[in-house]
Amino acid sequence: MTNENFRRELGHAFDEMAGSPSAALPDRVRSSLANVPEQKGPYWIAGVVAVVIALVVIGVLFVGNPLNHQPAKIVPGAGAIPTPSAAQSPSPCSSPTPSSQPFVCASSTSFTGQQPPPSAYVDAVRTGTHTGYDRLTIEFQNGQPQSIQLQPQANTAFTRDGIGATVNLAGNDGLLVTIFSGDAHTAYSGPSDIKTGYTGLLEVRLVGDFEGYVHIGLGLAKPACYRAVIMTNPARLVIDIQTP
Amino acid sequence: MLAAVMEQRPQLMVSAAAGDADSFAALIEPLLDQAYRLAAVMLADRPAAEDAVQEASIKAWRKLRQLRGDLTSLRPWFLSIVANECRMTRRRRWWSVLKLADVPSSAWRSEERDTSNLHQALLNLSPEERLPLVLHFYLDLPLAEVARALRVSPAAAKSRIFRAARRLRSDLTLEEVI
Repeated sequence: MTNENFRRELGHAFDEMAGSPSAALPDRVRSSLANVPEQKGPYWIAGVVAVVIALVVIGVLFVGNPLNHQPAKIVPGAGAIPTPSAAQSPSPCSSPTPSSQPFVCASSTSFTGQQPPPSAYVDAVRTGTHTGYDRLTIEFQNGQPQSIQLQPQANTAFTRDGIGATVNLAGNDGLLVTIFSGDAHTAYSGPSDIKTGYTGLLEVRLVGDFEGYVHIGLGLAKPACYRAVIMTNPARLVIDIQTP
Repeated sequence: MLAAVMEQRPQLMVSAAAGDADSFAALIEPLLDQAYRLAAVMLADRPAAEDAVQEASIKAWRKLRQLRGDLTSLRPWFLSIVANECRMTRRRRWWSVLKLADVPSSAWRSEERDTSNLHQALLNLSPEERLPLVLHFYLDLPLAEVARALRVSPAAAKSRIFRAARRLRSDLTLEEVI
């Protein structure tokens, strides 16, 4: 067998094994790169730390300003359609409002969807702050997922699916949101890590999006007292974290 | 578009080195197809291959300084990161990879019976044995780039290609392979 024949046969066999990448792969890579800061040297780190400290100081002054009654708005990621913040209760809905629910502390909560889609696509993640609570809204493009579980924890360490690495979020306590039969990479192109600057909900981070399981970690200032509700039209999970 | 990217590569490299993620994304975009094919063959799992390419792209972005602006090394450098990510994926999820690649079940065999003997022989190779074959025969990398991607000398790369090829066709000679 000649080199060319061997090469050709191998090429066919490899083609059978590999197939072609999905058309979305370049966008997926580009999107993930946009959310990852390049590692810089120590001087850059010092500069970044200085900027962060300045922003924190400005944020504290901003939040503490009694004349400010506007809810803070987290911008969805690049490419996402601008939507009102969760603070403004975006859509009409017939489901119960979160404010009618009591806050629960240190207990887990589960939701089960009726006629869930095969895979529920997360298409927006929003945060907002209100008097007495900070709100996280996770919106689904095609209906309520099969199941959602909220599990409080006494630290902010979360394990990244597939990698196994531990990430520590801001704050002292955590709340893990697990979405079964979920997908946060098809319809969602926003940031995977949101540092809110609020007093209760400090950080929201997508820690897993793997094989139909979406894990979202919440970094909280203190042990989780929260209320959660599924709202419809569009389907969304609303979590309110109680603040002092 | 590819031609345009190739022409702009020096400028993209400068911008990427200065911290522009979009430039880096544009720089590696022409390599994503090859990277995916390498990962798909190593992992024998197409969705996992796309995950590995994505993760490798992030790691490459973080390690860009290692490249020192050397465009000629970009492809083997990036593919070596992809190959390493595939190894890590296999280590992390050994149970899954074993299921698909290393321990073909009778069911897997029956599904594959319509495919070529060469395809089956490839499945019987370990991913590490497939790697030099993919780089040289499938992605058509010159020997020097295969060596850089494998992080070995050209002579060692040649030897690994030959050894793996001989496991597919025992009657091959070195001249026929390389």
